[in-house]
Amino acid sequence: MIPAHQSARRPSVLHIFKVYYPDLFGGTLSVIRDICASLKDIFSAGVLVCSRTGGKSRIVINDVAVERVRSFGDVLSLPAAPTYPLRLWRRIAEHDLLALHAPFPLADLVFAFGLGRNRPLVVHWHADIVSHAALRPFVEPLMRRTLQRAQAIIVSDAVLVENTPLLREFADKCHTVPFGIDVSKYNLPAPRPDRVNARGRLVLACGRLVPYKGFDVLVRAAVDRSFEVWIVGEGRERLRLEELIKSLGVQDRVRLLGSVPESERVKLMCIADVFVMPSVSNAETFGLVQLEAMAAGRPVVNTSLDTAVPQVARHGIEAVTVPPGDPEKLGEAIDSLIADPERRRRMGEAARQRATTEYSTAAFSKGIETVYREAAAAPAPTVRASRAAAIGWPHTIQIAAALAWSDMRHRYVRSLLGPFWMSIQMAIMVAVLGSVIGHFSNASAVARLPMLALSLTAWTFLNSVVLDATTALQNSASLIKDRALPPVIFLLQCVFRQGLFALHNACVPLILWLFLVPKDFGGAVAALPGLAVFIVCTVGLGLVLGAMATRFRDLKPIIESGLTLAFLSSPIIWSPEMINQASTVMRLNPLTHLFAIWREPLATGHVAMPSVAYVLAGLIVLAIASTVTVARLRKAAFWI
Amino acid sequence: MASITLRDICLDYPLYGAYDFSLKRRLLGRLAGAAAPIQTIRAIDNISIEASAGARIGLAGPNGSGKSTLLRLIAGVYPATSGHVEITGNIMPLLGLNAGVNMDFVAADNISLLLRISGRKPTPALIDEIWAFTELEERMQRLPLRMFSSGMLMRVLFATATAFPADILLLDEWLSVVDENFSAKAEQRLLKLVSQAAIVIIASHDHELLRRTCTSIVNLDRGRIVNTVFPDTRPPYPVELREKRA
Repeated sequence: MIPAHQSARRPSVLHIFKVYYPDLFGGTLSVIRDICASLKDIFSAGVLVCSRTGGKSRIVINDVAVERVRSFGDVLSLPAAPTYPLRLWRRIAEHDLLALHAPFPLADLVFAFGLGRNRPLVVHWHADIVSHAALRPFVEPLMRRTLQRAQAIIVSDAVLVENTPLLREFADKCHTVPFGIDVSKYNLPAPRPDRVNARGRLVLACGRLVPYKGFDVLVRAAVDRSFEVWIVGEGRERLRLEELIKSLGVQDRVRLLGSVPESERVKLMCIADVFVMPSVSNAETFGLVQLEAMAAGRPVVNTSLDTAVPQVARHGIEAVTVPPGDPEKLGEAIDSLIADPERRRRMGEAARQRATTEYSTAAFSKGIETVYREAAAAPAPTVRASRAAAIGWPHTIQIAAALAWSDMRHRYVRSLLGPFWMSIQMAIMVAVLGSVIGHFSNASAVARLPMLALSLTAWTFLNSVVLDATTALQNSASLIKDRALPPVIFLLQCVFRQGLFALHNACVPLILWLFLVPKDFGGAVAALPGLAVFIVCTVGLGLVLGAMATRFRDLKPIIESGLTLAFLSSPIIWSPEMINQASTVMRLNPLTHLFAIWREPLATGHVAMPSVAYVLAGLIVLAIASTVTVARLRKAAFWI
Repeated sequence: MASITLRDICLDYPLYGAYDFSLKRRLLGRLAGAAAPIQTIRAIDNISIEASAGARIGLAGPNGSGKSTLLRLIAGVYPATSGHVEITGNIMPLLGLNAGVNMDFVAADNISLLLRISGRKPTPALIDEIWAFTELEERMQRLPLRMFSSGMLMRVLFATATAFPADILLLDEWLSVVDENFSAKAEQRLLKLVSQAAIVIIASHDHELLRRTCTSIVNLDRGRIVNTVFPDTRPPYPVELREKRA
């Protein structure tokens, strides 16, 4: 998005937010625009946002390259842009620094998965998630991971860190950089009061027409008063506000002006008598628009939120602060200011003074620049919770496979019969069991041999993975403790090792099948998904039971006897006609279904749906248990 | 750039097996209102250490003062109970040479397995290079380790473990090889490894050794830092080692 020749000299910053000009106007957007403009000599900037309008995807606004990802409308105040995370991931590598303007859970998703870890990240904390509080439990872990990974967090006022529990956890990373305002823009020739607004009772409010701005409170406050209210801004609350104005009968004094160009807004700010910011929730963290009013030398009426709002314009000095959502108090405060021109003038002067000294654009861009520079200079963090995270999954699996391969070769060391003594052992077992079962049943024993051999191979795999896993961690204690290898390697090693042994054993059923059964490749293909699920379940069982047996030592004998019992009570060596398939023990036994999902298609060609449902439910439980286990394995060094 | 930051680290070591934590005991204990037995000991108590590239840190202290536990915590074996751990750079923990050795395998297979465990791809050239360092006969590569004397075994393991430099080197005691002819060579290789690593942390009872090799010595006692000493004059250590041996 930034041409290469431009980014060659200056480090480039990618601003990540949900929306940008020209799709919307608002406080956060003007902050991003100001950052891009004021740092343009030091950092080249790019913006990646969502857009509903579906215009050109790459546009240039104020010399800043803006890339817009198609969104299909807003869901819960979030743009529904399914491709945004992917696009963001691909863009990350092209920039030297990432600036995330929070809250934006769509981007948190990317960072929570650890993508883009090699680029420094700065989070601009604009607001907490207030409007959809029910979503918090789901979004907060994502936001926490983003903040954990960030080099720095920028807030507009220190009070936000104190009042936001999530930010308090990362207080050492937070930098307070108050927004800045260019006071000179408001140096209009002072309009003569008698000419423009002789009555001295014009109340102005600005902002998107969204619920948290509290414009309905302002409309209610105007009832039975004499002042006039102009509200600048557009948004989804417009219809509701129009109805409210009509129903309260104040349409002669309350006007919704809609969107107004910035130059016009400056003029309006300069002719207003009182500026009101009636916001009702902590989503209003700073109130950039009240800072504009202060720059225009207007007295402010704001609300006592837990955010920076009452800190920017302070009660009794630059503002009158009233409780949020109280029309009566708000109306009184406005009336008291309207009635006292001298107090209005005093407050307005104090406000302009404060905007000039405390909230200068120079200090703002200097502050942002310092944080950006430090973040860009800092090495990408490799904070690791565990060695497993440091080594990474591909490497973990590689080591486990190498260990398993060497285990298998160890089987051949000093062997008399060579590689296939295992297969011979399996062949003997199948022959003996087959002939014994042949006596119980009147069906042809020979025809059943391939299925018997395959079932025994599968069972041997499951049985030995689980048994092996119960002792794997203890046997590898020295590698875990002295070479700091992640414990999960050794559980995977069991799976791989037994998988290799199972391949040896599988020769027996394969040969029997080739010789004894009419070829039905359709059934074999239909059995493959079931077989895959069987293997995944075995891996899960090995992980979970292996870890638990290491932690609680009495589990090992319980698991051993449990496996024997399971072998006898499942249709592994028994053929369907020898047992009552409908008996309660058979129906509840998960192994019955775990075998049925691949044996049924192989034998009959059709899939047993109840078994599939049963196994998939079990698979979900196992997946959750395995995830918990892998997290718990961080502590495995204590257990051995 | 390698760095280690430990801030207010505590580690509570759970005492499995030292007390009865069975369900039976828990239920009965709850009914009888008995106090829960002590289930953890604090192995590391509020330790903060900062190390950047060039740091040579010695850990000293009596047995059970938490030296090895601290090394394992840095290596990522034990998760800290509380506090902040931040480590940049790849870690080579040399806490015991015997880990991962299979006595029934031939020497060359053991070497390649150990290389794989530390994330290297074993090539014949690499194995030959390691073997050359051990100064053992070429044909012994094909013998199982079972048949090696303990001195020969140490040579093979030492040569394999120290074949690659690391950003962060963790040593639990100086890896000493007691073979008269080999030890000088081993010492030199280890010193080279130490000089190549960005950060070295050595736990040892040998104060002389720590003073020779370290820029700072942290004295531990019962999991706490007692004091930190900075040995002031540091003559180039290879010279001193040779003098000592002479």
